Amino acid sequence: MILEIDGLKIHYSTRAGAVRAVDGASFAVPEGRIVGLVGESGCGKTTAVRAIMGVLAENGRRAGGRVVFKGQAIDEATTRKLLWREIAYVPQSAMSSLDPVYTVGAQLVEVLTKRGNASRSAARARAAELFDLVGLSESRLADYPHQFSGGMRQRAAIAMALALKPSLLLADEPVTALDVIVQRQILDMLRTLQQRLKLSMVLVTHDISVVAYLCDDVVVMYAGQVIESGPVREVLARPRHPYTMGLRNAFPDLMSDALELVPIGGSPPDLSDPPPGCRFAPRCPFVLAACTTSAALIADGGKQAHASACLRDDEAHSLRKAAMDPATWQRSSNFAMS
Amino acid sequence: MKLVLERFTHNALALLAVTTILFFMFRLMPGTPLAAFINENLNADQQQAMLEQFGLDRPMWQQYFIYLGNLVQGEFGLSFFQRRPVLDILLEVLPNSLILTLASLIIAYIFGVLAGAWLAWKRGSWIERVAVPAVLATRAAPEFWIGMVLLALLSFNAGWFPSGGASSPGLAYTNNWQRIASWDYLHHLALPVLTLALYLQGLPLLLMRSNMLEVMHEEFVTMARMKGFSEWRIVINHAARNALLPVVTAFALGVGLSMGGNVVIETVFSWPGIGRLLVQAVSVHDYPLAQGAFLMIALVLALMNFVADLLYMVLDPRVSHGRKG
Amino acid sequence: MAERAEPVLPVRTGWPLLAVLRRMAAMPLRDPFAFTGLLIYVLFVLVALFADQLAPTDPLEILFTKAGKLAANVPPSLDFPLGTTNLGRDIYAQLVHGTRSALAVGLSAAIIVAIVGTVVGLVAGYFGGMVDAVLMRIADMALSLPFLPFVIVLTGFLGASTSNIVLAVALLLWPNSARVIRSQVLTLRERAYVEAARVTGASSWRILFVHIAPNILPLSFVYAAIAIGWAIITEASVSFLGFGDSESVSWGYMLQDAFSSQALSRGQYAWFVPPGVCIILVVVAGFFISRGYEEVFMPRLRGR
Repeated sequence: MILEIDGLKIHYSTRAGAVRAVDGASFAVPEGRIVGLVGESGCGKTTAVRAIMGVLAENGRRAGGRVVFKGQAIDEATTRKLLWREIAYVPQSAMSSLDPVYTVGAQLVEVLTKRGNASRSAARARAAELFDLVGLSESRLADYPHQFSGGMRQRAAIAMALALKPSLLLADEPVTALDVIVQRQILDMLRTLQQRLKLSMVLVTHDISVVAYLCDDVVVMYAGQVIESGPVREVLARPRHPYTMGLRNAFPDLMSDALELVPIGGSPPDLSDPPPGCRFAPRCPFVLAACTTSAALIADGGKQAHASACLRDDEAHSLRKAAMDPATWQRSSNFAMS
Repeated sequence: MKLVLERFTHNALALLAVTTILFFMFRLMPGTPLAAFINENLNADQQQAMLEQFGLDRPMWQQYFIYLGNLVQGEFGLSFFQRRPVLDILLEVLPNSLILTLASLIIAYIFGVLAGAWLAWKRGSWIERVAVPAVLATRAAPEFWIGMVLLALLSFNAGWFPSGGASSPGLAYTNNWQRIASWDYLHHLALPVLTLALYLQGLPLLLMRSNMLEVMHEEFVTMARMKGFSEWRIVINHAARNALLPVVTAFALGVGLSMGGNVVIETVFSWPGIGRLLVQAVSVHDYPLAQGAFLMIALVLALMNFVADLLYMVLDPRVSHGRKG
Repeated sequence: MAERAEPVLPVRTGWPLLAVLRRMAAMPLRDPFAFTGLLIYVLFVLVALFADQLAPTDPLEILFTKAGKLAANVPPSLDFPLGTTNLGRDIYAQLVHGTRSALAVGLSAAIIVAIVGTVVGLVAGYFGGMVDAVLMRIADMALSLPFLPFVIVLTGFLGASTSNIVLAVALLLWPNSARVIRSQVLTLRERAYVEAARVTGASSWRILFVHIAPNILPLSFVYAAIAIGWAIITEASVSFLGFGDSESVSWGYMLQDAFSSQALSRGQYAWFVPPGVCIILVVVAGFFISRGYEEVFMPRLRGR
């Protein structure tokens, strides 16, 4: 395991009280694999990744849990040394993440000289090399971010992330802002680079089809917690948590037998006052009385091959069958509304 | 280049509009009839010259074009009371106004930018809670009142500075530059500059502070943090560099705006500048001089607006470097 | 200068005007700055209303001592809290009565600026096209006039009266509010509820005044609050330069009087410091109130 997240808690203080954006999330990233971190917006996936990079919003703080990188627990001070050299980040919007007043080349040189201890001439050569690696023409180094197209900017952001040869790449919705064809190109490039450079990677996305296309493992988050994790094929073929089952139904292009699109009724709970038991219980079609008081958390750092946080995990097989029927989810939405 | 031309045209048209407004203001206003341009202070020859030069016996629309033609040639007519060309008088006092304005603005902006960035850094502290209302108060105070208080305290009470004028009586200089470079001139300049700087520092300070706070939330600043850059590098090379853009533009605009506001400062300190000249001309109804002084101020304003546009283009690559693809 | 980021107003349904008014009324209770500002306004309004009770002496009356001599330059005392002028007039009475002219100038300019700015902004933003182009060119023109010189020339030639000063200030200030309101209307025009009203066949004017105008109200208010301060400072400056209304006792008149009567060299601080402080207070109150409304109604700026 290159990265282990164990019981991570991130709280935001707001006027309405503390919002528990991440509340005891645990997952692990095996060396040389691409892990998809998937969930609806607001489920805490981005917060979790940004917490690993040590950049939370001003009102956010780490309220508990451990982050272990290559076997060593890291805190704020030790993270700083690892940043960009060991762990790098690919942002969702490369436009806003590049400084508008410097050329892209200058920003590459900056990170290479200030964090990579390269000389200016070595940095320039390396910048050209990096542009080549991500399929950009060397001549574009002299351009400003706004002169790039969306896809090119994303490539530039990936070049930036690879500058110091990190071992772990955290990519936050790296293709969400792009059109489908460019999405595919960037994902293919990420896969190629990952294999060539033997990178480990966390890919944050709300799009389960991106996970299916690119990732080796998947971690499903819901309302600040990890509710299921395991190898992509395993999890998507045999989901064990009702939320994952519902999520899979909501993305029909994955299903070979072309099911109709079935949304999960209701909406995620208010994280300043989450329900006491399983957080999915209010929307779950298979909810039991016990679900509203207690939950089964994935606790052992997510090292288990295929783990689920559902109390009815041993009935997963029959639940999965019921979940294929759209009527199941209809009931659930009526239930959630009442 | 197309953009430069566009901004130039825009500002030139604005100036034309101002001169047009002025033309009609001076001719149609009650109490300022046509005949006002022929003043009894001028002798018969001078009156005849003015009449011909401004075409005062012709219809209004012809007068308008004669007026524009005269302006382009720098022909503003004769001052009723000083009985010499308005342009000469204007050019004589213009350097005083420019020196006062530029010196004050430079001091105000250097201080304002540094203090503003520092206050952004100190957000949420008691210093901020005290400093921001205090700065607002300097922006809310009438300029001339700040001048009066400083004059009473530092000039009349402490005796550190002269109470007005641009030079001590009895001193003679071979030329204007020698006069301006003299210690005496600087000594006279100090208090007006201090007053104006105190009044002007609020804008760059508050602008810099709010820009910094805004930029510090930008994703590229967060990215700089993720890259593990030092706090210093993040604040100076990324946040401040971006936050400074509008402040630099505001500086150029400030030259033009403050030229207008100098009217009161120059009066408080009897500073022989263009603003005081305007006040004097208006109060004695010296129309050609008042019109000339007003136009000179408007010209500086339009010119500095254009400079501000240019600066903005030069400094912001998003404007100066077009989109490729 | 670069245009500031466009303020974003929240989408509302139901009775927009009532909802906005309710939020506007509740705002000062939430923002301590706005509360302070409002308190200052209330204080000055009270002083203006009860000026005759607070300072029964005529501000222009020439006073004599018991010995029958002119009471000139009397230092502050119980009888004359701020002393007297060189002509034996009660400075405290002038300060109190000056509140009236300050508020009269400030409020009348603010009302004109708010109304003209709002109507022009609404019409230009909503109808666009030629109307918009013409109105905005006029605004550009007004903005390229040097502010104080224009006011001086206008009052100097048109005659030194309070109404001329108000007119000049209003002429120069409306374009600022019109521009901002216009850009806000441009964004509101595309909002879902406006779209909905259009689809259901509501007339242009109805959409403009029922659905868009209420959302603009806080902005008009912000610009009115700023205009109060500007007008008072301008009146003071113009009076100081000697182009003021010689009939009325204003703070600017007091400052001019003090300046030309050598109060500075005599160190008669009680004469010229209080009027300045009063001007600062009123103007700062405007800043505070506009700041508060910006934070509540333009959330982009919130929490800064």
